Amino acid sequence: MTATIYTGAQVRRLRRFNTGGAIISVITLLGVIFWAFPIYWALATSFKPEQDIVRPGLDLIPNSFTIEAYAHVLLNTNIGIWYLNSLVTSGAVTVLVILMSAAAGYAISQLDFPGRRVLWWLILASFMVPIPALIVNHFVLMAEFRMLNKWSGVILPQLLAPVTVMIYKQFFDSVPRDFREAAVMDGATEWQLLFRLYLPMNWGITTALAIITFIGAWNAFLWPFLAVTSERMMNVSVGITQVTDAFGVKYARDLSSAILAGLPVALVYLIFQRRVTQAIMLTAGIKG
Amino acid sequence: MASVELQSIRKKYGAVEVIKGLDLSVDDGSFTALLGPSGCGKSTLLRMVAGLEEITEGRALIGGTDVTHELPAKRRVAMVFQSYALYPHLTVAQNICFSLSLAGASKSVQKEKGDRVARLLQLEALMDRRPAELSGGQRQRVAIGRALVRDPEVFLFDEPLSNLDALLRVQMRLELAKLHNELKTTMIYVTHDQVEAMTLADRIVVLDKGVISQMGTPLDLYNHPANRFVASFIGSPGMNFLPAVVRMQPSGLHAGFEGGAVMKLTPRATPHFDGGQKVEIGIRPEHVTLTNPGAGQIDGVATVFEQLGNTSYVYIDTGLGQIIVEADQSVRIHPGDRLGLTLDPARAHVFDAKGTAWAEAQ
Repeated sequence: MTATIYTGAQVRRLRRFNTGGAIISVITLLGVIFWAFPIYWALATSFKPEQDIVRPGLDLIPNSFTIEAYAHVLLNTNIGIWYLNSLVTSGAVTVLVILMSAAAGYAISQLDFPGRRVLWWLILASFMVPIPALIVNHFVLMAEFRMLNKWSGVILPQLLAPVTVMIYKQFFDSVPRDFREAAVMDGATEWQLLFRLYLPMNWGITTALAIITFIGAWNAFLWPFLAVTSERMMNVSVGITQVTDAFGVKYARDLSSAILAGLPVALVYLIFQRRVTQAIMLTAGIKG
Repeated sequence: MASVELQSIRKKYGAVEVIKGLDLSVDDGSFTALLGPSGCGKSTLLRMVAGLEEITEGRALIGGTDVTHELPAKRRVAMVFQSYALYPHLTVAQNICFSLSLAGASKSVQKEKGDRVARLLQLEALMDRRPAELSGGQRQRVAIGRALVRDPEVFLFDEPLSNLDALLRVQMRLELAKLHNELKTTMIYVTHDQVEAMTLADRIVVLDKGVISQMGTPLDLYNHPANRFVASFIGSPGMNFLPAVVRMQPSGLHAGFEGGAVMKLTPRATPHFDGGQKVEIGIRPEHVTLTNPGAGQIDGVATVFEQLGNTSYVYIDTGLGQIIVEADQSVRIHPGDRLGLTLDPARAHVFDAKGTAWAEAQ
């Protein structure tokens, strides 16, 4: 092993670099505190007794811990049903978005049919329209279809996902033509090409897109809030707004329900961190 | 096994015609090489046989059945791609059995057929590996295995050895030759490497700009090229071409070179000979011998001397251009040496202004 010998100038440069690094680290740390403090505050508050919360003063560390708020939310609200609704609607949105986007991306990328270019431009154009701009149309449509207060009504408008179609098309475009031709020689149909070749060859992308679609659907608020008025059909993100008390605001209960609502997504993120980052990069147009 | 017949085949991409009305008959059980430079249409032709490319005009018959509009999988042909196209997410066994799996064959049938192919190609130890874990030669064998498992009547190879290093290429060439001897299946092999074509094929079809320039056995093409293109394409190093004027003299046909040198040509059929015709004399490096300056027909100066161990090549600058000579391995030449060259008139080829070879008299 050889020891690296630095000259005086190099040492000074390294020192300067380290000073710069330290400054950046401090700024990053401040950013982390700024970002994480509300989460910590919510978490800490949710474990405080209600009288401690409303007492003047800033108790960064709770004086006494209680799980009363969590117990109340879990035992006295419909949070179990809200979880189920969220799970079903988010799961369905994820599966359907992935299937439809993969099929659409494959068709636009690989098949030759009249109107392909027009269809592609329409998908690109739809990407330019913000979903909230369509929300009134969606509401009228779902009302006419008698789908309000139903899982289908929550799911259907969330299936518009031009970005995932674009990402799939982009990835399918980059699959070398020889693979397709070899499979065609082997007797593959278009469905077999999609499900046995193109999707498995881009499995990482599918996983990443599925995770980010699920997180998006779980966290969706505006549309599920409009589409459902019955408390038993609410998603957890909407249901937590129902955790109110006849005697006024109960901060611990509100925050504990919010934490319970966000917990599954936080877990998904922690488990699939790398894939989520990849998906965010993909949807931002950076090929991961 | 089946024959392949292409009748008046044309392929157009918009206004560009790539294959220009081509007729080709490939015998049952033969090994035919489609040889030509890049862009000559050889791969397009192969892909039309495979069904991967639509035929603009004409008919393709496999085993006597018209397959012009048939799907690739229904043609009973299998293709080995230049890139091997092994599915990266599948193991070797799954790659080999992919077509069987698509067709819904049972696991036991897949295993039985997969094992048979693996034994034939010595892939038994690699069956659980993925393509990324294989060497170039192993990938090549898996690609052949994938074609083999379908029991095709015709094998199509699209430059299958071009991604391998020189040593492996020779080895795989040998294995392909053995495979053909064993299976006796019709094989059509696309290559731009004349050595591959010469060593593997029992018939070579030389393509030039979408038309067949010549077809025949490897030795036919080597010894009797129909035109300058074939003469220059077959053989390495290539044939020497020397501008000359042919004249009929009382003693027979003579080629006169610039500078006064004359070479008597062997009797040839000269249908349109009108005397004083400008031609090119083609002669292969092994048909030129080195001699002392002034003792041969042409003199020149050596520029490069290559020793290959079993033989040597001397590059000589002459008044007629550069001439390559194949010399004995014991010969020692230094750049700058002045040499005489003797051309073997019996092995000289005469090409007219259009590049067509004058046929030798029977």
